[in-house]
Amino acid sequence: MLKAAVISNHVEGIENMFKSSSKIEYSLIEITKDFDPSFAEYDILIVPNGCDNIAMYKIRNSVKKFLDNGKILFCFDGWFTNWVPGNTWYMNNDLKTIDIRYHIVHDTYKLFEGIDLNKFNLSHGISGWWACGYIETQYGENILLADTWDRAIIVIDEKSTAGIMVLTASAPMADMLFGTIQEEESAWDEIGKFYQKLIDFVTEKRSVLSN
Amino acid sequence: MKNKIALIFNGVWSQYTFAKSPKYKEMFELIYVYDVNEEILENFVALVIPFQSNQKELMVNKEMYHKFLNAGKKIFIEGDAAEGLFGARWEDRPVNNYWWVISPDEPPIAETDYDHPVYNGLKPRHACWHTHGVYTKIPEFAKVIQSNKAGDIITWQQQFGDGLLLATTLDPIVEHGIQQITHLDNYVDKLVFWLCGEKPEGQFVFVKEDFGISL
Repeated sequence: MLKAAVISNHVEGIENMFKSSSKIEYSLIEITKDFDPSFAEYDILIVPNGCDNIAMYKIRNSVKKFLDNGKILFCFDGWFTNWVPGNTWYMNNDLKTIDIRYHIVHDTYKLFEGIDLNKFNLSHGISGWWACGYIETQYGENILLADTWDRAIIVIDEKSTAGIMVLTASAPMADMLFGTIQEEESAWDEIGKFYQKLIDFVTEKRSVLSN
Repeated sequence: MKNKIALIFNGVWSQYTFAKSPKYKEMFELIYVYDVNEEILENFVALVIPFQSNQKELMVNKEMYHKFLNAGKKIFIEGDAAEGLFGARWEDRPVNNYWWVISPDEPPIAETDYDHPVYNGLKPRHACWHTHGVYTKIPEFAKVIQSNKAGDIITWQQQFGDGLLLATTLDPIVEHGIQQITHLDNYVDKLVFWLCGEKPEGQFVFVKEDFGISL
């Protein structure tokens, strides 16, 4: 079973976003004024959308060390501070969200196999609802998903550190279906399915690394 | 700029992008939630507590925020609020951000008091996009500004001493920082004028140098 540390900046509802299962056990790590946590016992560090990027910058050396030990970072946030090694997130409103459509660039691990990408593009007929901004990554082969203008939206980075970074350009993502009124067909079903594929991917990777 | 507004900052990107936009940056100053103290707050005429705030840390400094109001200043709080903070009970509800596509005649807000200075002159569409929960209890003498079809309270105002608290489950500040809703200049510019008496000018843009920053 994977052990995951979820960073909490005490936003409403964070405790419901990541529910432990037979695959993964989540622990909330609460940010404090003098935030200096140890991640030694964890396999994955998760930074959800809407997290505290001032606190994350303060512990950037611990994050780097965690990754250098071959561990995993999931960052689903807009990290405006420079704490994610080798990758920068930017916001931009020059282009219209109504025109946003995603396409797969390098899906080395078949993470989008069986996933309906159109559900990421449109929710109740609205586009531009999922990710915000884009990522600049130092290695082009890291890009899993890009938008209409070829800007990186999801990055899988195994090159910048000894570990694995799964980065989304902001974009709500969690181990649940949440956020909007549940209807028969919800885009969240597909987001939830994709998240489970990420968990299977890092579980497999961890077992390869430890053998 | 003398009439500045403090934005109590939880390190959240949409709070940051809002306050850094050239349109608003002269009027707002980000105050990290762990750095708030009375001496700092004396420099501001008003204070904004945005959605996705650190409710636990806000409660630690509750008395400071009440003192700010009692000094005749204004506070705007959006989204959720811890029950003990200003004497109101907030409850979560599913967010419907696509009503305008599915059922445009049934917005999540049914009644609005357009006599309130923030709402005066706004079109209904500019006064309502989506809500994050409702208030089911507000202070005894608070005035309801907006409510939904079921009668739940969305926006209310309360006088504290000579100060005014405006609370809403709308999220104009963080949504404006996200820039997915294109009409929010209308609401936010009225709100900023109400808070500090200054009128923001220009378009909302992002500056690339504000990203990937080292502190």
